[in-house]
Amino acid sequence: MGRLAQSIEANCDELTRLDAAIGDADHGINMLRGMKAAMEALSSTPPKDPADVFRVAGNRLVAVVGGAAGPLYGSAFRAVADALAASQKVSVPRLAQALRAGVNAIQRLGAAEPGDKTMVDAWIPAVTALEAAGTDSVRGAAAAAAKAAQEGMVATIPMRARKGRASYLGWRSEGHQDPGATSTHLLFAALVDATH
Amino acid sequence: MIQSVDRAIRILLALQDEGVLGVSDLASRLGLAKGTVHGLLQTLAAHSLVEQDPTSGKYMLGPALLVMGNVYLNSHDLRVRSLRWVASLGESTGLAVRLGVLVWPDVVIIHHVGPAEVAVPVSEVGLSMPAHATALGKALLAFHPERRRLVSEHSLSRLTGKTVTDPKALEKQLDEIVTSGVAFEDQEAVVGEASVAGAIFDRSGQVAGAVALVVPADESGIDPSFVAAVRDTARGISRELGAAVWPGGE
Repeated sequence: MGRLAQSIEANCDELTRLDAAIGDADHGINMLRGMKAAMEALSSTPPKDPADVFRVAGNRLVAVVGGAAGPLYGSAFRAVADALAASQKVSVPRLAQALRAGVNAIQRLGAAEPGDKTMVDAWIPAVTALEAAGTDSVRGAAAAAAKAAQEGMVATIPMRARKGRASYLGWRSEGHQDPGATSTHLLFAALVDATH
Repeated sequence: MIQSVDRAIRILLALQDEGVLGVSDLASRLGLAKGTVHGLLQTLAAHSLVEQDPTSGKYMLGPALLVMGNVYLNSHDLRVRSLRWVASLGESTGLAVRLGVLVWPDVVIIHHVGPAEVAVPVSEVGLSMPAHATALGKALLAFHPERRRLVSEHSLSRLTGKTVTDPKALEKQLDEIVTSGVAFEDQEAVVGEASVAGAIFDRSGQVAGAVALVVPADESGIDPSFVAAVRDTARGISRELGAAVWPGGE
C-alpha cells in the first residue's frame, strides 16, 4: 500500500492530465488524497494481516475520495479484504481469488464490461493473468499481472468510452488513455514492488 | 419533411457522432449515392457548416456551427437569466452546478460551473447526458406534457449498477418529483456522483429547463441544505421568467 501511495504521488499530475482530457481533471488529486489518508490510518493502527491493509485502505478511500475513484477502489479493496480473510500468508491462488472479488465489486457498482474504456480493462487482464499463474512465485505472478494491466491500460487508448464521464464525449474519448485503467496499472505495479 | 434538408441534417448528425467521415462512409451510413452526398457536402461547406480535411479529403463539422451555438447560448432567455443564480449557487455550496434543457433522450447542458476545489474545471457546456440517469433529466421529464410517451418509446440504458432502467420505477420517481419539484439521482449516471435538480418554469407554466447541483455521493445522502438551495434557485429563476407558481408552494 505504501508503494502504491508513492506511485500515486509520483504520477499524480499525469493522472490528472489524462483525466482532464476525458474526465473532470480530478483523478490524480483524488487518488493522492485517498492514499495519504489510507497511509495515515495504516500507520496510526498497524494492520494485523494483509486483509487488514486492504480493509483500512478501502474504508479510507471510500470516506475521503471524491469522484468515481473512491467508491470503486474503496469497494474493491474491501472486497479483497473480505476474500483474504485472516490468512497471514497469501498464496497466488488466494491473491487471484481476492483480486477477482475486487474487480467483481467494481463491476457491480459501475456496470462496466471489458471494452467500455474503464479501469475494468486493466483489472480483468491482470486478475486473469494471476489466475493463470497457478502456484508460481508470488513475485512472478504479480509481474505477469502488472504486465497484463499495462497492456490493458494501453488498449484503452483507441476505445470509445461507454461508461463513466468519458462516455459523454462519444468518439472524442478515442485516442486518450483511460485514467482509471492507468491508476489500476499503478496498483498492480505496486504489488510487484511489495513482493520483494 | 423536405428530403434534401433532412439529408443535410443527417450528414451533420453523422459528423457529430463520428468526428471525421469520408464521402463513401457517409454515403453508406445514410444509404445515399456518393454523388448525392458529395453535392450536399459542397453546399454545407460553402456555408462553413462542414469543412474538408485537406490531407485526408474527409469531412468534419465546420466553424459556422460554433457561431450558431454561441448565438443559441447568448440569446437563450432562460440561460441568460440563470447565469447569476447558477454562479451564486456554485459559490455558496462550492459544488458544480449544471443548467440543462431536454433533448430527449438526453439532457443538453447549456451552462456549467465547476466545483470550487478543481483549479481548472472541464466545461460541460454542450455535453449530452442520458436524461433518465440524471436529476436534470428527471426534473425535465416529470413535467413534460408527453412524458409517458417519451419514457415508453425509449429503452432506458444502464450506465452504472444503480441506473433506473425499469420504466415503471422511473415513472414512480417522476410522480414524486411532480409533487415536490425536486429530482434526485444517486450514482445513476456516474459512480461517485449524485445530483439534485429543480425544474424551472416559464410564464406559460411549462417546464423550460432545470438546474442541478452535483454532489459527491456518500452514504449519508444529499445534505438537506443543498436540496433547499436548489429549490430556492429553481424557484427564483422561474419567478424571474414570469412563472406564477412553483410545485410544493412556499
